[in-house]
Amino acid sequence: MKVKVATKILEANDRIALENRKIFDHAGVFVVNLMSGPGAGKTSLLEKTLSGRKDLRIGVIEGDIAGSDDAERVEKFGAPVVQINTGGACHLDSNMIADVLGDLPLGEMDVLFIENVGNLVCPAEFKVGEDMKVMLLSIAEGHDKPLKYPLMFQESSALILNKIDLLPHTDVDIGKIKRDALSLNPKLKIFEVSCRTGQGIEAWVDWLGEQLKKR
Amino acid sequence: MHEASIAASLLEIVSGQCRRSGYSRIESIHLKIGRASGIMTDALIFAFEALKEGSVAKEAVLEIEEVPVSGHCSDCNNTFTTEQEYILSCPCCGGGSFRMTAGREMDVIDMEVS
Repeated sequence: MKVKVATKILEANDRIALENRKIFDHAGVFVVNLMSGPGAGKTSLLEKTLSGRKDLRIGVIEGDIAGSDDAERVEKFGAPVVQINTGGACHLDSNMIADVLGDLPLGEMDVLFIENVGNLVCPAEFKVGEDMKVMLLSIAEGHDKPLKYPLMFQESSALILNKIDLLPHTDVDIGKIKRDALSLNPKLKIFEVSCRTGQGIEAWVDWLGEQLKKR
Repeated sequence: MHEASIAASLLEIVSGQCRRSGYSRIESIHLKIGRASGIMTDALIFAFEALKEGSVAKEAVLEIEEVPVSGHCSDCNNTFTTEQEYILSCPCCGGGSFRMTAGREMDVIDMEVS
């Protein structure tokens, strides 16, 4: 006997993401899903953002397969932080986020960063209840990345090109990264930064502040 | 790369429906997977085969219908279907003002049960 199912496979994830979103809206916290490949500088960007916007109350959820190094780095800035260990999963999903929301003082926060597992592929597929997705690409990863991993570039509101101080030492064509990223997503806002030297961080944190006001 | 999570969600969806409706065995499951969904069908089948053991779907076969990428371009007003997985410009006029209308599906359509 044939029976209809007519269900989107990711429907359960999307439903929980929507519930997370209601909790965030009720608490009045702006949520950024921060994504990149491993080592692009997500935690370094958080450190710079925390020290660059001391006026904002920022909390962090750290997602890693194992370990708590990132949470310890962020905690030094006095930010409330929760570490999720996915135990092998290559991305955070909405249920993992729902499980830890009770551990954060959401009502006393302006911004919550969810630092996803380092991976250019899967995190883009799973909504967690965020207001926006922001991705990092370190320029040494190469100018072929937008066309090789298009979904993350399509889903993100902003692209942060990190390690820009390495530009003179590489053969990377940063114009190609920008052209390809914008052809995938014409609305993408692009920043060139160096978390090491601090270059470009001000433009990023100013823009973040504007997004909060627009909400 | 996350085909195992997708296979687990799929198993949850079909097992839940069997539990609610009192079906005891699934013979086959019909899926639509878009070419731009990022899902490798071989990896999805592999993960499903591993996870279905001991479940109501233990004998189920996945019947996967691949959906090509389609879209509509507002520059040239053409509707197109392409063999490519990802498109950066309209295949008809090369413009950028197109909207994808199909190709991102990950849907369970129906199943054969007893």
